[in-house]
Amino acid sequence: MRKPIAAVGATVLALSMGATNGGLAQAQRGAAPRMPAAQTTSAYNGPRTPDRKPDLNGIWQVLNSAHWNIEAHSASEGIPAGFSVVEGGTIPYQPWALAKRNENFQNRLIADPIRKCYLPGVPRATYLPFPFEITQTPKHIAVAYEFAHATRTIFLDGTAHLEDLDFWMGDARGKWDGDILVVDTVSLGDKTWFDEAGNFHSDALKVTERFTPIDATHLNYEATIDDAKVFTRPWTMSMIVYRRLEKDLELLDYECAEHVYEKLFKKPGGKP
Amino acid sequence: MLAMSAIGSAQDAPAAPPGGRGGAPTAGYPPYARPTTTFVPPKTPDGQPDISGLYLAIPLPRGIETPLVPLANRSPNRANSEFSFSINERPKLPEGAIARPVGVDPPDGKIPLTPEALARRKEIIANQEKIEYLDGRVLCLSTGVPRSTIPAPVVGYQIFQKPGAVVIFYEQNHLYRTIPTDGRAPLDPNIRKAMGVSRGHWEGNVLVVEVTNFTNNLGNNWVIGAISATPGVPAESLTTGHGIPHSDQYKVTERYTPIDASTIHYEAKLEDPKVFTQPWTIAYYAFARAPKDYVPVEYACFEGNDKNLLLMTNTDISGIRVNVP
Repeated sequence: MRKPIAAVGATVLALSMGATNGGLAQAQRGAAPRMPAAQTTSAYNGPRTPDRKPDLNGIWQVLNSAHWNIEAHSASEGIPAGFSVVEGGTIPYQPWALAKRNENFQNRLIADPIRKCYLPGVPRATYLPFPFEITQTPKHIAVAYEFAHATRTIFLDGTAHLEDLDFWMGDARGKWDGDILVVDTVSLGDKTWFDEAGNFHSDALKVTERFTPIDATHLNYEATIDDAKVFTRPWTMSMIVYRRLEKDLELLDYECAEHVYEKLFKKPGGKP
Repeated sequence: MLAMSAIGSAQDAPAAPPGGRGGAPTAGYPPYARPTTTFVPPKTPDGQPDISGLYLAIPLPRGIETPLVPLANRSPNRANSEFSFSINERPKLPEGAIARPVGVDPPDGKIPLTPEALARRKEIIANQEKIEYLDGRVLCLSTGVPRSTIPAPVVGYQIFQKPGAVVIFYEQNHLYRTIPTDGRAPLDPNIRKAMGVSRGHWEGNVLVVEVTNFTNNLGNNWVIGAISATPGVPAESLTTGHGIPHSDQYKVTERYTPIDASTIHYEAKLEDPKVFTQPWTIAYYAFARAPKDYVPVEYACFEGNDKNLLLMTNTDISGIRVNVP
């Protein structure tokens, strides 16, 4: 990644200062010099698993408005305003793709795949307004999402990708780079969006995520989006993931498909 | 209590004739006894019996309930259509294990439905062409417990363990359960989950899980289920689990018993005073460790199922949108 640790500091700083999007960009430009690789300099001093990796077990959630729009946006009815989570502020679309995104935006209440209860894809699953639970073993990061009981199994066992397939949540293989969990996801298909605003990708999408533990209760999350069919260059979004600390918390349900049938069966004569 | 005493008698006195509710005893099978084993699984770093790993469902030799013909008269590899799947090497029963019907209590293997539940079942079977009466699994709803543990066309089960919890990822419809083993309190009964709310503890090497708080907002969440009622077989025969939705009082007690390094035996006691006249129990060898080259893949059920439902029930759901917060 281009500047993993520097981005952590900049984002934390910008959020804590309540900075505007311009302020965020400025903070990133003026961020501390890039730090060397994490193996030698990890500042993480939180809990570790028996195999000495940062212990990510637990329930986590993102607190931002990226689910509605990963770019900077003002509030609209029911939707909070938000900073851009995209490094540099704007997604580098090819011209045709920007036009397609704008069309998606106009049709979003019908066309957003989430509203059809389809699996949210990667990286959108991370920043849905729902918690997710990580179960960590030496060979897996198993992620269970409260939304639509989506799951990902990130294999850390060195096995190869299932390439050229079409999975909603992709095929994820990860490795530890020092204390940073790096996950490559392929075979994501072309049917998911990045947000409700119509930001999209093609079946050429490859996502590289970096989960950088800051301390016991915060991760910096970065997702680099590589899709030469849609964008002029790879680009990265970043945000903080917060550990949910409520005692005896557990994931609940947003069984999206149930709500489809509830609507259907409530039609006249529909309820058995 | 009836259920447990019946199981106990089966264990204590294998030669005793099966009791039951007056139905015919299950012909040709010894009474059910919980399997005993000297196997001691390894321990996780935090001291739980380690049953983690990737497993495949062991095919059931027949349907959930009383067999219509003794097992010996059927091809040993024949699987009920609900429970068939295709992989090159089918998981096998452990050495010396006896294949038998999975309904073990009451001993006649029949599901003890209340008259109201039987009437409801007849209604469901009579209206199968309507989407409102379809099997929740066909609708791609979460299949609940114990149904998610019954072999289906997609058969992988990943069991993970971490301090204070056992986590199961089902390959079928990307279902999952987190089973806390940290002694936490039950959830408020106002919170419902499609897979129920699980509370587990270890009895020796056996994982015992009580599951309550099941979703009850749709009538399509059946406790056992089959894709369809067997043609020509009347509803009273209870030859499949088709068409038995649970009520808000549904409770399941599961026992996961590691038999050897590769096999887990499963038992589930089902209780629901609004649906069953007494608790009843199913038991079978459920999981065998997957071959090394088995890769669990995504089973995205609901996505694209609208075409299927259109064909089956002439109902178009493709225009329905739901609010996501």
